[in-house]
Amino acid sequence: MDGIRYYDIRHVAGEVTHIDIDNSVIESAGTSFFDQAVVRVLGPRGWGIMTVDNYQRPRGDRFSDMINSVRGVASITGEKVEVADAKRGVLDVPAMREDPRDVSIEEKTSILAGIEKSARLEGISSSRANYSERHETVTFEDSSGNEHTYSICRCGFGIMAVASRDGIVQMGYERLHSISGLPIRHKQDIGAAAARRAIELLDAKAAKGGIMNAILDQELAGVFAHEAVGHASEGDLVKEGNSVLSGKIGEKIGNNILTIVDDPSLPEFGFEPVDAEGSAVGRTEIIRRGRVCAYLHSRETLAAIGHGAAGNARAMPGEPPLVRMSNTYIENGDSSLEEMLETCRDGILLKGSRGGQVDPGRGVFQFNAEYGYLVEGGEVAGMVRDVSLSGEILSTLHSIELCANDLLMHQGYCGKGGQSVPVSDGSPHVLLRCAVVGGSGTD
Amino acid sequence: MSCFVVRWWVAVEPIESVLKEGSKTADEVEVFFVKGESLSASLRKREISEAAISRSTGMAIRTIRDGKIGVSSTDDPERWQECLSAALASGELATPQEWGGLPGPVDLDPTPLACDPEITMDPALLERFCEELLEGASRYPVEVTSGSAHVSRQFSTVANSSGVLYSSPKTSVGVSLDCISGQSTGYEFDSSYRLDIDPVGVGEEAARLAHTSAGGDDIRSGRYDVVLSQIALSQFLGAVFVPALSGRNVHAGRSRLAGSMGEVVIDNSLSLYDDPFDGRGLSSTRWDAEGSPARRLDFIKNGVLMAFAYDLKTAYRYGKSSTGSAVRSGYGGGPAIGVHNLVLDGKESGIMDEPALYVHDVVGAHTANPLSGDFSVELSNAYLVEGDEFVRSVRKAMMSGNIFTMLQETGGVGSKKRVTGKMILPKIRLLRQNIIGV
Repeated sequence: MDGIRYYDIRHVAGEVTHIDIDNSVIESAGTSFFDQAVVRVLGPRGWGIMTVDNYQRPRGDRFSDMINSVRGVASITGEKVEVADAKRGVLDVPAMREDPRDVSIEEKTSILAGIEKSARLEGISSSRANYSERHETVTFEDSSGNEHTYSICRCGFGIMAVASRDGIVQMGYERLHSISGLPIRHKQDIGAAAARRAIELLDAKAAKGGIMNAILDQELAGVFAHEAVGHASEGDLVKEGNSVLSGKIGEKIGNNILTIVDDPSLPEFGFEPVDAEGSAVGRTEIIRRGRVCAYLHSRETLAAIGHGAAGNARAMPGEPPLVRMSNTYIENGDSSLEEMLETCRDGILLKGSRGGQVDPGRGVFQFNAEYGYLVEGGEVAGMVRDVSLSGEILSTLHSIELCANDLLMHQGYCGKGGQSVPVSDGSPHVLLRCAVVGGSGTD
Repeated sequence: MSCFVVRWWVAVEPIESVLKEGSKTADEVEVFFVKGESLSASLRKREISEAAISRSTGMAIRTIRDGKIGVSSTDDPERWQECLSAALASGELATPQEWGGLPGPVDLDPTPLACDPEITMDPALLERFCEELLEGASRYPVEVTSGSAHVSRQFSTVANSSGVLYSSPKTSVGVSLDCISGQSTGYEFDSSYRLDIDPVGVGEEAARLAHTSAGGDDIRSGRYDVVLSQIALSQFLGAVFVPALSGRNVHAGRSRLAGSMGEVVIDNSLSLYDDPFDGRGLSSTRWDAEGSPARRLDFIKNGVLMAFAYDLKTAYRYGKSSTGSAVRSGYGGGPAIGVHNLVLDGKESGIMDEPALYVHDVVGAHTANPLSGDFSVELSNAYLVEGDEFVRSVRKAMMSGNIFTMLQETGGVGSKKRVTGKMILPKIRLLRQNIIGV
C-alpha cells in the first residue's frame, strides 16, 4: 500500500430507544438501529476519510483495495500531517447498577409517564418528558496492530414544564443522563422541581443588565469552564491559530485558586474507555493554579503543537474524530457559598444553564442562566429570569475571586463541527468580580 | 483527477416489501428512503489537511394501526423486517389519536427543484473552491485559520400504502472560511444547490470582517437603532420565532403566538411565509416529508398572524389540515413540523442611511428563552454605521431584548435577500434596542 503512512477504522453499531411523552400523550416509544464506520488513511500529505454504512471488514485483497481507495481521496491534500505516538490502553467500562435492557420498554414508558405526571402541578400548562437509551459497540483497528472492542450504554431523561398566567409563559427544565444504568426510577421529585421552577419564574423580574459581581452555581460555572476555557484549549483550534490560549503555555491567566481539568477517564457522562483513535485517556490539567499547563489533543494536534497528551479525540458514529472535551470541571476551592454572598455584597446569583457559545479566536463567550437571584447586602433577594453572562476569556479568569468546596457535575451534549458528543461539566460555586451580565430588564 | 460517480436508482424492492408486509398488520405504512453521497475538503490555515467521502443509505418506517403511530429507522435496508417489527412494536405503546389517513397520490410535476445535474463528486472542484477561498482572503492582511468545501447529492423517496411514490434528487454545494486578525475573527459561507456559489467573495468577506473588526472601540451602554445582517436575523428567527409557528407547540401551550391568530404580531410592513418552490432555496420541494403536496404558507401577512404550520399527525389531532409542513432532518425517526424556505418580505428602505449599530452575527442566540422570546446575546463583527459608511468597529457589546417585541416596530428592510439555511431573508433595521457596552 504505497504512500500510506497510517490507517485506522472505527466501526460503531448499535441501537437507540426513544420515549417521548407530551402532555400525557405517548407520542413515540421505540427503537432504531445504526451501523457506521469511518476509515481514515494518512497519505503522503494529509488524511483521506471514508464513511460507510453497514461495515463488514473486507477479506484479503479487498481490504487493501479499500484502504488504497481512501488513500486516493487524500490526493488533494497539501498539509503534511504528522501523528504523535500515544499511550495505548482501554479502561473497563464501569458496570451499570441496572442494565436498561433488562427493563421492558413498557415499564420504562410507565416510569417516564410518572415523572411527566409529577410535573403537572397547578399552574402548569404543558409538560413533556423524553427518555433516550443508546447502546454502542465500538470496534477499532489501526495499521500499527492496535485493536479493541467495547460496548457502552448511555441513557437519560429530560422533563420540561411550562407555566402560564395572564399571558406570561415560563419554563422549568431538568435532566439527568448517566453511564451507570437506568436513571429514571424514583425521580418524580425532579419533574416536580421543574414545575415549581416554572411557576416561580412567573413572578420573577427580567434581570437588568450591567457590570456587577456574580456568583455562579455549580451547573453554570461548569458551563463557564466548558465554554470559556475548554473550547479554547482544544488542540485543533490552537493549531489553527484560532484560540486566545495559543502561545499561552506557562502564562498566568487566572488567580491561584483556579484549576481547570478535563478527564475522559472519570466515570461521568463524558467517559470514554479509550479515545476515538485508540489513545489511552487520562486527566489533563488545562489550567493549574491560574497558569495554562496543557491543551487537549488528538495525535495530530499533539504532534503539531505539543503541551499535553493525546486522548481527547472523540467522534459520533460515522464521523471522523475531532479534539473534544469530555468531563470538564473547575476543582474545589476552600470557600463557601455563605462566604461568597458576604464578599459579593451586592450583585447577582446565577443558577442553571440554558447553554452557551464561544468564539475561541476572539476569546469572547456568552451563556445563559436558567434563572437567578439578586444579592443585596450579602443576602439572597428577589428572583430574576432571562439573565446571561458574557465576557472575554483572558480578563474574566482573573476575575474569579473565590471557589467554594462543593463541586457538582452536570450532564449535557456539546456540539462542534456538526457533531454532538456527551459531556459533563462541573464546578463548585464561584464568585466573579465585575462580570458583564445581560438582561432585558429596565429598572 | 477522476470523479466519483454514483448511479442513482429508486430502491423499489425493499420499499415494496415493507409496504406489502407492513400492510398485513398495520392499517397504513409509510417508507422514507434516502441514499446519498458527499465529498468534502477541510482547509487548515492555507492547505487542505483532509478530504472525505461519505456514502449513506437510510430507511425510516412509520406504521399506523387504530390511530397508533409507530416509527423506526435503520441504515441497513436489508434489515427492513427488523425495522418494520420495531415500528409496529413502537406503535403498540403509542397513545391512539384521531387519524384520517396518509395522503394518496397527486399528479405532481416530478421535475426536481433543488438539483443541479452538473454537480459531480469531483475532487478537482473542491481543490478549485479552496484555492478561490484563499485567493479572496488574500485581499486583506489576515490569517486564514480554517475553511471547508463540499459537494453532495442525495436521492430521497417517500412512499406509502395509499399509493404515493415520490422520488427526487437534491444537490448541495458549499464553502466556508474562518479568518483572524489579532483577536478579531471573521467567518463567511455560501451554499447553493447549483454551481453558482462565489468562493472568492466568501474568502474576501471573511477576511474583510476579521480585518475591519480589529482594533474596535468600546461602546457606551444605551439604546441604539440596530441593523441585523441576514445571518444575525436568521439566528433570532430560528431560535424562537419558527418554533412558535409550529402547530404542535401552539396546541401544546408552548407558543407565545397561540391565541394571536388574526392579530397584528409584528410590524405591519413585514410578511413572513414559507415558499417551498422558491428558486433560490436549498430545500425547495413539491411534496413534504410525508407525501403531502407542499404549498406556499403565509404565516404573517402585513404584520397579521394568518397561519400555523401542521403535519398530518398534529392536524388530525386538533381538527386542522396539513399545511405540507412535514420535514425530516435525516432518515432517523418520524417527520416533524418545520419550514422549507422561510421568506421575510418588508418595506425596502435605506436602512443604513441614518446612524445605527450594524450587527453581522451574534453569539448565543440559541440560549434565548424559547417561550417568552427574551434574549441577551454577544455581538460579533459589530460596527457603528452612518450614511451607509462604516464609521468604526465595536470591540465588544451585548444586546438584550425580546425577539417578538423587537419585530413589532422596525425601520424597514434592505433590498438584497440572502439564503441562510432554510431561510431567505433581507437585512432589517430594528429601533431603539438595548445595548450593554461599558
